Amino acid sequence: MIRVAAVGDVHLGEDARGRLRPALDNLSGHADVLLLAGDLTRHGALDEARVAAEEFGGLDVPVVGVLGNHDHHSDLGDDIAKLLEDHGITMLEGTATTIDVGGERLGIAGVKGFGGGFAGKCASNFGEREMKAFVSHTIERSEALRNALAGLDTGIRIALTHYSPIPETLRGEPPEIYPFLGCYQLGEVIDESGTDLAIHGHAHFGCEQGVTPGGVRVRNVAQPVIRSAFATYGLGA
Amino acid sequence: MTEETQYRVAHVRRALAEDSRTAELGIRVNVRGDDVYLSGEVTTENRRADLERVLREVAPEVVVHNDVRVADTREPARREELR
Repeated sequence: MIRVAAVGDVHLGEDARGRLRPALDNLSGHADVLLLAGDLTRHGALDEARVAAEEFGGLDVPVVGVLGNHDHHSDLGDDIAKLLEDHGITMLEGTATTIDVGGERLGIAGVKGFGGGFAGKCASNFGEREMKAFVSHTIERSEALRNALAGLDTGIRIALTHYSPIPETLRGEPPEIYPFLGCYQLGEVIDESGTDLAIHGHAHFGCEQGVTPGGVRVRNVAQPVIRSAFATYGLGA
Repeated sequence: MTEETQYRVAHVRRALAEDSRTAELGIRVNVRGDDVYLSGEVTTENRRADLERVLREVAPEVVVHNDVRVADTREPARREELR
């Protein structure tokens, strides 16, 4: 069995330095890998990212993450990803990584994703330039996840995103804002790619458990939802 | 909800999201007359206090009820087995 720990939306900054570390210091007792589902910072500032890098760096299991919308607020997404990578954290954006766990290979494909909404209630790639730019980003990021998943030949595959691939894990959020919380395109890609588990964050008022139309388990690990330093899942026999 | 209440909710929510001192998009705002109830979760005690500080600037006339909780960062007590 592969043990997966995951958390999103920790929104770290100088005032939160060290808050997660007591729980993380015992991480290998819980998990073989830690996934970070974006929004590691508040304003996407480098000093906040440094706190995140030090909080999640040097742990006794591999750490793999994606960025979230907050991490892009200061237009420093690439710099933040590099800083985290420099601390040994594998950051994904339309890319994938493979981890060996006791002879079994775990593949993780990651992308931030974007909003857009869900089947029958979603934005269309039509009209004003601003609207087309919005939906183009939705489509582009979902296709990036498709390519990343396609490149994995591992026995177990996980899709890691910040935005949600299904509406079910958003229950508790106002339905009117679902188009800003996720998009069906991510779910469609996950279903078509034979993924074993999808992990996301972003929806603080959502719920933890859901399933895609194709039967892939989805878990919303936003910290206000899981109410602990991280959630843990056991995959495989 | 009266028109005035709806706009008050909109102004408060936008302020809490867009003011750099708070940057909190996940705070629920309920307005009942001159009483404003905040709920949700933030990372630290300081940020919980900052919500009130910003809200008092945006809407000094209201009574603030800050029901926002601070994140629980303990180790999880269980593991979910997915078979």
